[in-house]
Parts: sequence; C-alpha cells; structure tokens
Amino acid sequence: MEQLAVTVEGLTVKYGAFVAVDNLSFKVKSGEIYGLLGPNGAGKTSTLKVLVGVLEPSTGKIGVFSTPIADEVGAKSQIGYVPEEVVLLDSLTPREFLEFVADIRHLEAATVNSKLERLTTAFEITQYFDTPIAALSMGNKQKVAIIAALLHEPKLLILDEPLIGLDARSSKILKELITFHAKKGGAAIFSTHIMEVAEKLCTRVGIINKGKIVGEGTVEDLRKLVKSAEGSLEDIFLKVTEQETGMREIIKALEEE
Amino acid sequence: MKFSELWRLSSIIYKEISFQSIFSLRSGSTLPQRGRTSINQLARSAKTNTLISKIITSVFIGIFGFMMLFASTTTIDTAEPPRELALVGVVSAFLAVVLFLIIIMGLQVSTTLVSSKIVETLSVFPLTKRDLSNVVFLCLIRIFDIPLITAALTLLAAYAFLGGSPLGFIASLLGIIVTGIFALTLTIGLAKFFYSKVASGGGRSKWKTLLRIIFMFVWILPSFGTYIVVNFAVEIVRSFAVFTKIFSSTLQLLVLAYPFSFGFLISFAGSLQKISYSILSLSIVASVAYLLLALYALKWLTHTIRRIGVAGAIGVLRETVRDTIIKPRTPWIGIIRKDLRVASRTPSLASILLLPAIQTVVLAIAFSSFSEVGFSTAMGILTGMSVTMLLLSPTLFSIEGLGSAYTLSFPLKKKTLILAKTALITFIYVLSLIVLSVTAFLMRRNFTHILTFGGIQTFSILAASIIELLIIANKYWKKGFSLSNIYAKLPTYIMILLLGIVIVSIPMTIAFATYILIEQLTIPIFLISALSEFMLATFIVTREK
Repeated sequence: MEQLAVTVEGLTVKYGAFVAVDNLSFKVKSGEIYGLLGPNGAGKTSTLKVLVGVLEPSTGKIGVFSTPIADEVGAKSQIGYVPEEVVLLDSLTPREFLEFVADIRHLEAATVNSKLERLTTAFEITQYFDTPIAALSMGNKQKVAIIAALLHEPKLLILDEPLIGLDARSSKILKELITFHAKKGGAAIFSTHIMEVAEKLCTRVGIINKGKIVGEGTVEDLRKLVKSAEGSLEDIFLKVTEQETGMREIIKALEEE
Repeated sequence: MKFSELWRLSSIIYKEISFQSIFSLRSGSTLPQRGRTSINQLARSAKTNTLISKIITSVFIGIFGFMMLFASTTTIDTAEPPRELALVGVVSAFLAVVLFLIIIMGLQVSTTLVSSKIVETLSVFPLTKRDLSNVVFLCLIRIFDIPLITAALTLLAAYAFLGGSPLGFIASLLGIIVTGIFALTLTIGLAKFFYSKVASGGGRSKWKTLLRIIFMFVWILPSFGTYIVVNFAVEIVRSFAVFTKIFSSTLQLLVLAYPFSFGFLISFAGSLQKISYSILSLSIVASVAYLLLALYALKWLTHTIRRIGVAGAIGVLRETVRDTIIKPRTPWIGIIRKDLRVASRTPSLASILLLPAIQTVVLAIAFSSFSEVGFSTAMGILTGMSVTMLLLSPTLFSIEGLGSAYTLSFPLKKKTLILAKTALITFIYVLSLIVLSVTAFLMRRNFTHILTFGGIQTFSILAASIIELLIIANKYWKKGFSLSNIYAKLPTYIMILLLGIVIVSIPMTIAFATYILIEQLTIPIFLISALSEFMLATFIVTREK
C-alpha cells in the first residue's frame, strides 16, 4: 500500500517582507521521485530547507512519513539531504566528517563500514578520504554530501540540485541509486534545472514559480495542462512559468548584436 | 596601474576579507537569505567589527605603552636600579607586547588572506601579476594600519614626553618599524605554516594528531607572550634592571637580543653620558643587524604575498588512504571529537580553547611569588579560572556555525549538544585544576584549598556553562548559528558572560561570607550552594527537547 512520504500544507516562507514560498501544498507518496522545478528564486531551495529543518517556516503543516517536522529528531532521522550549496565542515576530512554523521545518527560500525566502502568505491572518493574537505573540488565535496545522505539508508531523500559538479559516471550512479531507492519503497524529492533529467527520472513533477505551485503531475498531465500534445518538459516548463513570452525576441536581439 | 587605483581596489578586497573572516567562514558560507537590506547590514557589521578589533588592539597598545613608559618615571625607583636600565626594560616590554598583539590581531584576518580564496576572484580580471600582488600587499597594510600607527605614535609621544633626544627619537622609530615588520612576517609565516601543515594536511595517524597539537601550541605562543608580558610587566622591568646590574656580563648578552637591543639604544640615546660606549656600540650593531633582518623579512613577506597573489601559497598534502573504516561513537562523544578536530585546525578557536592552558602556566609561574596558597588566594585563582572557562561556551558553540546550513538537517537534540560541550568545558577545567594542584604540590605550597574549593567550584562552572549554552542555543538554533567571533555580537555575548559570572560568583560570595562569619561551615555551605546551582541548571536543560 502506498504511504504518504511527505505532506506539505499551506507552507509559507518569508524573508522580512519578501514572500519566498506562498501557501504551498503538495504531497509525495512512497515509491515516488518528485521533481521540484522552477526558475531561479522561485522558492525551491527554501521549500526543501524547511522540509529538512534548516529553515523555520512562517506558516504551514509539514509531515514526513506521518511524523510532523515539529518532532525535529523524529523527522530528520528519516531524511537524507544533499544541499544546493555544499558547505560541510571544511576543516575535517571526509573520514572525520562521515564519522561525525555516523555518531549523530547512532549508526553501528559494522553496518556503516560495509555501506561506506561500497559508496566510496562507487563515487571514487576513497583516495580523498583523508584530505581536508576544504581542499576537495566541488564535485568531490558533493560526493561526500551524497554519501552522508545515503549512509543511514533514509526513507526520504531530499536532493537540491545534486548533479551539479558531478562527473558523468557519478551522475549516472546517483540517478540509479535514486531510482532503486524509490523502487524499494522510499521517496525522493529532487530539485533540478536540467529538464531532461527530471523528465527521465521523476515520477511526478511540481513546477514552482514565485513561491506557488503552477503545475503538478506527470509529464503527460502537464502536457494536458498547457494544451499541447507534444513538446518536451522544457517547453512545458517555459510555458507554465510564463518565461516563454518574449524569449524569442530577446534571443534574436542578442544574436543581432 | 596607478597607486590610487590599486589602493581603491585593495579597499574592496579588504572589505571582502573582513566579511569572510567575520561571517561567511563562521556561518558555513551560507548566510540566511533575508533580502538585500539584511546582507548589507551584515556587510556593514563586518566592517565595523574589524574596525572595533583594530581599535581595541590600538587602545590596548596605547594604554599599556603609556602606563609602562610612565611607570618607569613614577613607580620604579629611579636611583636603584638606575632609570636608564628600567627604561630599557620598559621599552623592550612595550615592543614585545606590540609584536605579540599585532600577531594575535592579524591571525584572525590574515588566515583568510593566506587561504587566498579572495585572490581567485581578482585573478579573472585583466590585472598583471604585479598589480595582483600589490593589491594583496596593500590589503595586508590595511589589516594592520591603525594598530601599527598607534604603536609608533605611543612610543614616540611617550619618548618625547620623557624628554628624549633626537637620536633616541630616530632609534624609537627604527625600533617600531622593525617590530612592525617582524610582526607582519610572523603573522603571515604562522598563517602560512598553519594552512600548509595543519589545515591542508589531513591524516589520521597518531603522529599527525601529535603534530597538530604541537602546531596548536606554536599558534598560541603570541597569546602566551602577551599574557606573560602584560601580567608581569612591572616584575619583568624590576627583575631585568636588578639582574643586569648584578650580572654585568648578562647585560652584554642581552644587548644583542631583540627587543632589548632597541631598548638599550632608545634608552641610552637620551642619556649618552651615563652609558659605557661598549654597550652603546653593541646595541647599535645589534639594532642594525635586526634592521637588516627586518629588510630580509620584508623581502620574504613581499615574495610570499606575491605568491599568494599569483597562485596561492598553499599546497595540499594528500594522505595515502589504506581503508575507509570509521569508528562511530555516541552523539555526545561525536560532538566533542568534532569540536576538538575543528578547533585544532582553526587558529582563532584554538587560541581561545587553549586559554585555560596559558592561564594555568601563568598561575603556576605565579606560585613562586605566593608565600602560601590560603583561602583568599585560592578563591582569587578560582575566580580568574572561572571567568576563562565562561569564555569557552560561546567559543565552542561558534563551531556549530561552521557548515550549519547543512548540519542543522541532522537529527541532533539541543540537549545533547549542550551536554557534550559542557562535558568538554568541565574536562578542561578539571585538567587545569589538577595541573595547578600538582604544581603547588611540587613547589611545596599548600594545595588543599585549591583542590577542595576548586573541586566544589566545578559544579558552579557546570551550571554557568549549561545556562550560557542554553541561552545561545535557544537564541540561535533556527538562525543558523551565525555566531561568528565574539566581536560580531558583542552586547549579546557580554550579557551572556555577565550572567555566567553572576552564576559562578554566587557560591563564592556565600563562601566568603561564611568564612568571615562561621569559618568551619565554609566548605559545606559552598558545596550546598554550588550543588544547588548545578541541580537547577540540570533540571532546566533536561526539560529541553
């Protein structure tokens, strides 16, 4: 039976007078990969930060596998998070950082070490395991964050632009891992600007613009929404977010310069 | 590029360095998105905080300089030892303090400069390598401008006030310039040393860990130097004057050592008739040698800065990895382990965390001047130790600011965090207490008062630390712990520290009152009051989620 993995009801996030997320509601079921799409500054990252407990919402009710996020420890224990901007504890090495993550998450040495070995090999990070995180490339930092998110086998993965900086191999592995995670009954919320990835990977997508969901469903559902039988997710996205208007003129003007 | 343009450009980079060293590095490089106004406020605040840091250092240099230089004419007996010798000690102590203080102040900002992330931003612009280096060098000057000018003006003004000669005036200027260059060189040297040997090198072997601990102690030497010179300034001057008078051969050796060579030159340049010309000659030769060394240091400094400007000075040391095994522990041990690891690679944190060690060494040295360590002396020592311990709570909590934009997503209880940090503070305090007691025992002083009252005081320190941490945690839990350093939110920190001081003072005050009224009840009453505070604080914290 499908279980509700995430319930967001009437979420509002304000920065002073600026409303970043405006009365947002959506649901994600277990076994789903939910793509959160939107132009820059639409409110995707703010929404994800609230879900993982990094940001306090102004209003709204949020639940993770029936646990309200007010129960911080209970909700966070079920989540694996990869932030958009990977800022870890830079002075630590990946070994020390992942050790800290394992400490906080009460992980057993025997289980965590076998999983760690598989993940470090898969993401080719072993050789950097004792190098300070500050000295790693952006892609390698991203890999450390991904491993930290997967280490405790969470029921819910929240990934904010996780493919940025990753090489093709790691990117492919991560996508496979997310798919496998969903097949096992877990859920994933995935934010990206790469429409092709969202189209192939996500079960459903939610398009967010100016803090509001402006389109939600499968790609087919969205095609119906924009009354177009064809077109890629990118075309649908541009229509739904009203970014298509005047775009051709702008490109033409730039080309003429 | 014109100097005026370089100077203007260095101003922008300097502001960025201040901002990064004060905020970004402490808040995990991700500031809360509160809109442009808030970010502008933070940027302004960073600028103000850097200025405050400079002003505090400058004021300290000024006050210390004047107090010391005037002390040579008032508190020190001008006949025995001779005023000239006392002045040598005073000038030398002043130069040493300037050296140490400039280094301490500089380390906070120069580590950002040395890590050279700032320069990467500039390197994409059409600037020559020389321009780039010049901009970085001008940034370095901007970091130290006010304290260096204050140090020079203080020495020159005080010297003029004491009726110095033109020759002595030149010697003073020379002395302060050499001190300034030495300070800048040591700052950049220590920052570079730190990043190349500690921050850029990971490693898990015991040898690497030991090396990191040694580097931490090297790092805090300037703090230790300042603490010693400032605390024992008058004693140093007296001892120096008496010592050199008794052992005249020592005088000839000391004249060769920095900063004494400048001390001699400056002091005796004003009273040529009272000095042996051999000593004067030696001081001139030594001072010239130090001047040459300073010129060489300046050359090294510009070369290093140029390298930072062009390609970054720091290479990464990569360890050979044998396995990927980790050893998970309980969350609170994990927090302590993480805090110690982060602090051992973050100079500003290491210097505060090692403050109790410096204080313990200074107190151990001071034991020689105590005839007995009775109730009053023990309570005096414990007051100082308690205040130092109270500084550790905000310092340890500021570690949570690093990467908090990510680590806040961990299922961590506020209570666990507070208890872990309290446990670490208690461990540091108890260790200091044991070292002090052992020192007192070895020096054949009565250590029972320190051990008994210090042991009881542990409960008060525990209570104060818990309350301090609880306030900070409640205040910043959802704000990303962007605590930054102590100057960033000075009024808040002062209030928190004051509350901590009140908490540790209550049982001590009660103990004093009891000691005066019914001496035999002092220990039980002190124990009951400290224990009550601890139980109350524990009750409050256990109610937290």
